[in-house]
Amino acid sequence: MSKEELFKKLSEAVIASDSQAVVDAAKQVIEKGIDPVEAIEKGLSKGAIAVGEKFDKMEIFLTGLMMAADAMKAGMDILLPHISKEKIVRKGTVVSGTVKGDIHDIGKNILVALFQANGFDVYDLGTDVSTSKFIEEAEKVNADIITLSALMSSTIGGQKDVIDYLKETGKRKNFIVMVGGGPTTREWVEEIGADGWAETATEAIKLASELIEKKK
Amino acid sequence: MVTFLDVVERALTGKPCSEREYDLKIFSTKLMEKVKEYDIKYDPETLVPSDNSLADDIFKAAIDFYCEVGTYCKDTERIIKFDENEIKEKLKTAPSKLTFGEGTDVGTMVPRKPEDKTLPWCFCGAGGVAVSSEHIFSKLVENYARIPIANSITTPSLTKVNGIRIRPESPLEILGAIRTVVLGREALRRGGRPGLPIMNSISTADSAIALIAGLHPEFGLRPTDCYMIATLAELKTNFDLLNRACTLMSLSLPIASLYGPIYGGYCGGPEGTAVATVAYHLMGALVYQAGWHLAFPIHIKYIASSMPELLWVASVYAQAISRNTHLLSLYFNYTAAGPCTEMCLYEIAAQHTSAITSGVSMETGGIAGGKREDYLTPIEPRFTAEVAHAAAGLKREDANELVKKLLPKYVDKIANPPLGMKHQECCDFDTGKPSQKCWDIYNKVKRELTDLGLEFK
Repeated sequence: MSKEELFKKLSEAVIASDSQAVVDAAKQVIEKGIDPVEAIEKGLSKGAIAVGEKFDKMEIFLTGLMMAADAMKAGMDILLPHISKEKIVRKGTVVSGTVKGDIHDIGKNILVALFQANGFDVYDLGTDVSTSKFIEEAEKVNADIITLSALMSSTIGGQKDVIDYLKETGKRKNFIVMVGGGPTTREWVEEIGADGWAETATEAIKLASELIEKKK
Repeated sequence: MVTFLDVVERALTGKPCSEREYDLKIFSTKLMEKVKEYDIKYDPETLVPSDNSLADDIFKAAIDFYCEVGTYCKDTERIIKFDENEIKEKLKTAPSKLTFGEGTDVGTMVPRKPEDKTLPWCFCGAGGVAVSSEHIFSKLVENYARIPIANSITTPSLTKVNGIRIRPESPLEILGAIRTVVLGREALRRGGRPGLPIMNSISTADSAIALIAGLHPEFGLRPTDCYMIATLAELKTNFDLLNRACTLMSLSLPIASLYGPIYGGYCGGPEGTAVATVAYHLMGALVYQAGWHLAFPIHIKYIASSMPELLWVASVYAQAISRNTHLLSLYFNYTAAGPCTEMCLYEIAAQHTSAITSGVSMETGGIAGGKREDYLTPIEPRFTAEVAHAAAGLKREDANELVKKLLPKYVDKIANPPLGMKHQECCDFDTGKPSQKCWDIYNKVKRELTDLGLEFK
């Protein structure tokens, strides 16, 4: 199988959410001495971008998206150990979770899957996450971005709490803070002083990349 | 007979499973299998199908599906399962009518069938959407009471107490929950209908502790009101929700269960969302011992339910339930557009014509996606109830034609809908009555609907 054929196989296997096929193709990349960085860019990432677009158009649904993210991760696990640290280009590190008192996770899961599929390192803290946990984890993994999800009008106050905590402990400038979820609006983002908000997860990924670039 | 204690025991002893495995390998996978097995297919040309066998297949698929997947308890990370006999027994013994309200506002909710002339139960109000002040809260509820055909009221939620934003499970949430009850009851009195039942009881309470605080008789709720318990997407519960069920049951208070299956989420497309919506009714009846049911299938991206796929879901789930059970089921819609816009009223008309003709009753939905504070007026619930009464008795075939004529009026705008106006921008401050502009839009759309064949009563 030629290099181009292997890249195509990687891309198609991510789109098909076929983790085993991704692993097999990634192993062949290593066995044949093909540049794993190129395999990520022209294979896995290409597939991941296509998956994101399909989800945006509702041609695939959440299950397909999450399984594709798993397939992407399986491929990365094979390829990354063969890339020297200097050559590993990740788009950014994200700490993600649903705020204190809120146990809804579907919106956050979509975001996490899309971040993973688009080459971000993501630390998913789950739901009902305490204010200090977001910050501790972000410091521990040297995160670029903290994303705060909330589904209820009664829980979005938790997003403000994280931002206030960062401000009052002198850490606000260390992280980009993005918020999202059903009851959040642009006006709310301005009120609490978040750095970014998007109506959909796809838009959030684009915005995250822009915010990281801007911060550099 | 499955008792609540059986449910709790199964939550502790059921099959252990990670949540991710439940979502992806059990719920999602089995749902797709059942859709395929029963050959359930969405037809974009027929949004209100007249094919009884489709509704019956969705019902059978839902029973099979729920037997296999059960309900996931997030706290114990176990699956609460029921067998087919238990499900069927519960469907037989579930209430076929429930009476709510006091005095001249006593009413009885009854089941309906597709094309049934029986008037639907009209549950009018805010659908729990948030408002920024107690003044707007009170003016809205006061004016909901003035909707002549309203059978019950749903209040808004408060997001602040004395200007402080509520935090979950905090004293602020408890105070907010109590204030919701006190203000709601008083506003109904001011609106001249103190006996109207409040059926979302304590909209501001998102936790068991706040619900329980608001239940104290001192604050004004009655056994003739109704008490809602949410489910978690998809087919999940947790101890906090079970605690609410436990408390309400112990006080012999009537329980309703809420379901928001997500189109595009783990349910997949319209077919899976329809089967899941029916399965949720089984969950509500068994897990929460709910006496009536409220379903709001919703789009994952747009937080609305007026797109063709979801109009179909509203129709077929309603037919599946109403043809095969006597469960008391209400449909709740989400509009993309906001108050005081023609689009919002077109969306409501399409959504409730689909559902009411298919055999369920109604609750006014989340306007502007239900996510924006103060985007509420008394016009939308009044209009919804009037559409619901007009749609009762329509043939499904005629409803389908009507809905298809309404869709082109708004479908291209769902991604970027007009937000309309906030309550304070289009309603009088002192009386809460909508402006003439709101009434002009309401009258224009009603005239259009009349021309399209909807006969307002």
